[in-house]
Formats: sequence, C-alpha cells, structure tokens
Amino acid sequence: MKTEKTNIKAALTIATAALLGGNTVTHAETVSSNEDSNWEFDSAFLFYSEADRVSASEVILNAKKIFADDEILNLKLTIDALTGASANGAVAQPRVQTFTRPSGNGQYDIAPGDTPLDDTFHDTRVQLNGQWTQAVADNLTASGGVHISKEYDYLSLGVNGNVAIDFDRKNSTISLGFSHFQDTFTPEGGIPKPFASMLIGDSSAPTWDDEFAETRLGSEDDKTTTDLLLGFTQVINRRMITQFNYSYSMVDGYLTDPFKILSVVDDNGVAQDYVYESRPDSRAKQSIYAQSLYHFDTNVFDVSYRYMWDDWQITSHTIDSRFRIPLGDNFGRESYIQPHFRFYQQSAADFYQPFILNSEPLPAFASADYRIGEMTAFTIGLKYGMLVNHGHDLSFRLEYYRQTPTDAGFDEPGVLKKVDLYPTIDAVIAQVSYSF
Amino acid sequence: MKHSRAVTLTKCQDGHSLNFHAMASPCEVIIQSTDPQLAIKLGNIIASEVWRIEDKYSRYDQNSICSVINNSAGQTVNIDEETYLLLNFAEQCYQLSDGLFDITSGILRKVWRFDGSDKLPTSTQVAKYLSYVGWRKVKFDQQQITLADGMEIDFGGIGKEYAVDRAIILAKQLTNLPILINLGGDLAVTRARLNNAPWQVAIEHPDIDSTKSNIDNNSSTADMIISLTSGALATSGDARRYLLNKGKRYGHVLNAKTGWPIENAPRSITVVAPACIQAGILATMALLQGDNAEQFLSEQEIKFWSRR
Amino acid sequence: MNTVHKIKLALIVPLITIASGCTSLGVEPWERDLLAKDAMSLTSSPIDSALDDHIYFSKEASSGGKGFGGGGCGCN
Repeated sequence: MKTEKTNIKAALTIATAALLGGNTVTHAETVSSNEDSNWEFDSAFLFYSEADRVSASEVILNAKKIFADDEILNLKLTIDALTGASANGAVAQPRVQTFTRPSGNGQYDIAPGDTPLDDTFHDTRVQLNGQWTQAVADNLTASGGVHISKEYDYLSLGVNGNVAIDFDRKNSTISLGFSHFQDTFTPEGGIPKPFASMLIGDSSAPTWDDEFAETRLGSEDDKTTTDLLLGFTQVINRRMITQFNYSYSMVDGYLTDPFKILSVVDDNGVAQDYVYESRPDSRAKQSIYAQSLYHFDTNVFDVSYRYMWDDWQITSHTIDSRFRIPLGDNFGRESYIQPHFRFYQQSAADFYQPFILNSEPLPAFASADYRIGEMTAFTIGLKYGMLVNHGHDLSFRLEYYRQTPTDAGFDEPGVLKKVDLYPTIDAVIAQVSYSF
Repeated sequence: MKHSRAVTLTKCQDGHSLNFHAMASPCEVIIQSTDPQLAIKLGNIIASEVWRIEDKYSRYDQNSICSVINNSAGQTVNIDEETYLLLNFAEQCYQLSDGLFDITSGILRKVWRFDGSDKLPTSTQVAKYLSYVGWRKVKFDQQQITLADGMEIDFGGIGKEYAVDRAIILAKQLTNLPILINLGGDLAVTRARLNNAPWQVAIEHPDIDSTKSNIDNNSSTADMIISLTSGALATSGDARRYLLNKGKRYGHVLNAKTGWPIENAPRSITVVAPACIQAGILATMALLQGDNAEQFLSEQEIKFWSRR
Repeated sequence: MNTVHKIKLALIVPLITIASGCTSLGVEPWERDLLAKDAMSLTSSPIDSALDDHIYFSKEASSGGKGFGGGGCGCN
C-alpha cells in the first residue's frame, strides 16, 4: 500500500518532466529545500590607519555555495599588509634614546619626549579558511572547518567543529563549538631571552653577531590555543532574538611578544637599560557574551555585551551596538545607514608594568605592552549600504577608534613625570564591501 | 465580465509588481529588481504566455483547440505537440488517481450547479450525463484525438497550474533574479528572495466570502502565511461553491466515477511541490480522497495545509 | 572584583525574567518574516565581524566571546 502510494508522487514527477521538459525535473525531488545555488561572493577592502603609527590594508574574499540539501560550503581568503611603527614598550625620556632593531641589524633613534616606536613593521599575511556546514538530523546542524594563516614570520594552522541543536520550532538553539590552533612563530632575529638586555652599539662590529646571539634563545617557538564555546540562542518574539555564550580559551606556549621591551629606570626615572619582556607560558581566558537584536517598525537595533576575565587578572567589558536605519529608495536604490558605537574597557594584567625600577628585584614576569595594560577604548562609526542593481550589496564604512591607556596606579619617578607614559592612539577604519 | 489585456506595473518595497487578468483570475508577477525596464519586459513575456495558454485551452473560447475538440461531434481532430503533452499528462493523472481525476468529467457541471442553493440533481439526470464521462473512451495519439459525440474535455483542472510552470520557465530564461508568479492563487517562485530570504505567501481563508466587502473583517481573515524558497504551491477547493440540502453539504468536487460530489472532502487543500502542476494535481487528488485527504498526502510525504 | 560580580548578576537577572515571565517565547514559522531578514541575523555582516575581530584581537587583550577567540595570526 505504502509503496503504491509513494509511486504517485514519483510518477507525477516523471509526468511533469514529460510535460514541461527536463529542465524542471532537477529540483523536483526536493520540495522545500533549495537547488544548488550559484556561488555567492562577499568581498571587502579595509584600510586601518593609526596616526603616526601602524597602517594596515586588508582584503577579504568570501565565497559561499549552498547545495541542494542546504549544505553550505564557505571558502574565505584574507590578505593583509601591515606597515608602520609600533610601540616597543620603552618609556619616553627627556633625551634621545637609541634602540636596536628586532632583527639585530641596525639601530633607530627616538627624539626626546617621544614614545619609542619601532618603525620596522612590515608584514604580509595570507589566510585561507574552509568551512562546511550541514544538517545531520532534523534539528541538528554540524559544521567543521580548517584554517591556515601564513606570515613571513608566523604560521597558524587551525581546525574547528560546531554542533547546533534546534528545538521548540527552531526558536531555541543550543550550540557547542570547539577550535584548536597550532601556531609557530619564527621572528626575525630569533626569540629573545626573557629579561635579556637589549644589545646596543655598533652593529657592524665583528663581535656584534655573537653578542647579539647571546641575547637569543632560539629561532622559533610555538603556541596552541584551544577554545570551547557554549551558546544558547532564543527567539523572543517576531521582533526580537537573543544569544548567550560562554567561552573558555586555553592558550599554551610562547605568549611573549619578542619585539617588546621594558625600560629599566633609576630613582630619577632615567632609563639605564632595556630588557626583553617575559610573559607566562599559559593563559586561561573565559568570557560571557550576550547579544540581542530588536526590529522596530523599520529600524533594527543590535546590542551586545561581553565580559572577559583571565588568569592574568585581566578583566574587560565590551559593549557593541549598531542601529540600522533603512533610507527607503534613494537614487532608485534601497539603502540604509548604520551608526555604530563600541565601548571597551580592560584592567591590566598582573605582570603589566610600564617600566622596571632598577632599585627593585626583577619580577618573574613583566611586560610594558600597553595592550595588556589598563585601557579604555571606543569606536564610533557609520556604515552606508545600498542594494545596487540585481541584488548586489555595496556598502561603505568609516569608523574612528580611540584607545586611551590609563595609569593603573604606578608611581612615576623623576623625569617620567614630565613625559607621557600613556599616549592615546587614534585610528581611522575605512572599508568598502561588495557582495555579488 | 471581460477584462482588457493589459499589464500594469507597480513599484513595491524592493522590486516591482506586474498585474494583469487572465483565466478569470487576477494575476501577479513580483520581481525583486529595481529595474523597471526589466520588470516590464518580464511582465509582457509572462502575460503573453498566460494569455496564449488561455486562448488555446479555454473551453469558453470558441476558437480554442479545446472548443474545437469539444465541438468535433465524434470526428478526429489534429493536435499539436503541446496539446498532446497536456493530454498525456491528463492521462497519467487519470491512471494515478484510479479514474477519480478525469478531464472529461466537466460535462457534469450541466446538472451540478454549486450556487449555494439546495437544488440537487436527480439520479436520472446525473446518470444521463455520466454516460458522457470516461477518459477510457477517448482515443488520442501524438497527432490527433477522437472524442465520442457529446463528450467534452476540460483543461480547467490543470491549465492555470500549467501556465504558472510555463511562465516560470520563461522567467528563468530572462533573469536569475527572484520572481514570484501568482495566477489566482496558484503560484511558484524561481528561487528564494535575495539573501536567501523566503517568499512570504498569504493563503486566503477559504471560508471568507470575497464578494462581501466587510472592512473590519480583517481580524477573522487570519490568512495562512507560507514561507517559500523554491517550488510552487497550488490550492484546490472552493468554499463558495457548494450545495446545501437537508443539512448536508455537497462540495463541488465530483467523483468522475459516480457523478456525485465526494463526501467529506476538505474545503480546500494547499500543496507545495516542485512544479505548480504537480501541486495542483496532488491537491485535487487529495480532495478526491474525501475523508482520507490528509492521510493521502501524509503518506506521500507531501507538505500541505488543509482546511475543513 | 566586586564590580565583576555585580555585572554578572545584572546579566543573569534579565535572563530569568525572560525565561519565567513569558510563557510563550518564540514564534510560529510563518511569523519569521522579520527574523528572516539579513539585518536580524546575529552576525548581520560576517565580513565586518571578521575584520573587526582582527583589529580588536591585535589591539586589545580580549578576543572572542561571540565566536572563537582563536589565534590565527601573529598580530598580537
């Protein structure tokens, strides 16, 4: 009985194909799912520029294909290029300071009162990601991906997996994710010894190379990162959806920045020496994240909050919000503007210190990298997007990002009172995106 | 009422809508494109095709091939390939429905007038016309068809759905942008809307008498909303066409074998299928199952909505 | 650390209100017209997110939360 009845559907499919021609029969078997879609491409060019410091260009090309049974293949190529100057960690001084480049080849001078910046940063990075997502059961979606990123001095390989379970008419989703990265760092000039003094002098001297090698541990080191992510998504009503995540991240291995140093100052705040920084070889981070989107009559409000804490005693708060305002038909095209505001605040790592006092014993770990110091930052931006002909999406984004490192209560002896130990960093982000 | 053959263009939120009248129904084509030229071109292509099919297969049009066949008085009529394919399809449906779906059964309308009254025909009247019903008596091949004198065929059960499918084929040849084609409630889409959003299709509640202009009736007109990303949907059944005699409701779906209405058929069934003509036939076949309509579709693992 | 706990509480409290105060969370499939829009997806622009994540990952001490924090580049 059952087989006979099933034959009606199949027979009708054949009869329909005979009537309408073969071109309709291809998707006759799948009623509610899509046909194989064409490749969809998202592309973007981003320019990031800090006043007097680093600038970066980044290009992303993302290709997506949805297959007949809703399997999704995502391939992403990212290329970025970084040039410019980056803070080396030393403090400003009322006199000229001389530093050796990370490679050991040559030196650079920093004018009195200026925050020491190393202007040798040039790097190009190529990253490839592949991700496959498919339903494995009625309400169960699984996803797996690979990642490779290569820079001149850095290689990162990664895998990730994710499962998502839908229930209550797909109004609720629980997801569980895992990712693992294996990174190898081969910095130019090698890995410096923790707290080794930066060698300064005549780099063309015959003994220089041997003396420089004395400050080095080896040529490469590695680190692993393992992330676990537990998420819960809930549709509240027709206008509102929320998400809650908990994530745990374990980083092991070489977490020090080989290019960063600390100034060793005397009781008058005058630099006597520069030593390479040293960080613990593990870091356990945890975060909770909540996001909500609300659809007003036409506008959409997207707000999220993240609280992060780790065993370096860093805690941070991030609030990110976007408000999308459709502009209706402008110039015969559908368009929208989207203001963006982001606020970020972090406390310092327990081993962060802006400099080392030579009168005090050397700590186990120390870093003057402002990025793990106390800091407040905000971003304001505006995005303008429009649907150009044939459904292609073109958008422009312009943002202003300001980081304000703050004093976590360190005494500033002598001359350090007269210099800016916590300079603010201003950056502009400009982006053009096109989907086709 | 004769409608003029014109296509009107309306700009809507993220595209264009083209409206025309064909097959006694309001017809609508929606294209998700801001290009009015493209929309007009599409509207003309589709309306022309629908009107072509209407002209060719309408039983009301004396010049249609359908009328020529019906007026042939037992003579053989030459047919073209398209007509052969439609007859062939009707034959398949006849076989698959075990004779319940029969395009020669339209003649029973002469005794059954589903005007909401209580006027049932007599058994004699039904039996008289039933003798003119029976697909088995029709002889046809790729070149010609022969009907017994007095018999009629009617493409009404498949013509509109066929027009939707033909229009979709033509639309896909013109552009790959998302298009929805709706011929009086039988509709299909070429693909999901941009960004893979589904088309939201509202199905009118069949209990509502559309001739009644009741403005504040909106709350009770709770239309059923169906999300469609591909394929087609068709609805069979018409709540306004029935007879009521001694408390018993006689729906307009007739059993071609007995000449009497199918008992306990749902008032309407909406089916989703890859092609509109499939959806239409499945919905009609389900109605012909009466009590077992829903079970029939469930067993076929077909997505449907029924209203009783 | 006290401020930390307060914030956690503030986060949990609305969660509970949502879970207990509203018996009919969620929507029927045909009520997803607004939710189906790209603008209402949790990551409405994956490209923007990827670029932002990269910037903030290399400029701040926090990463991830929404998705994997990951490593992936030598940018910090």
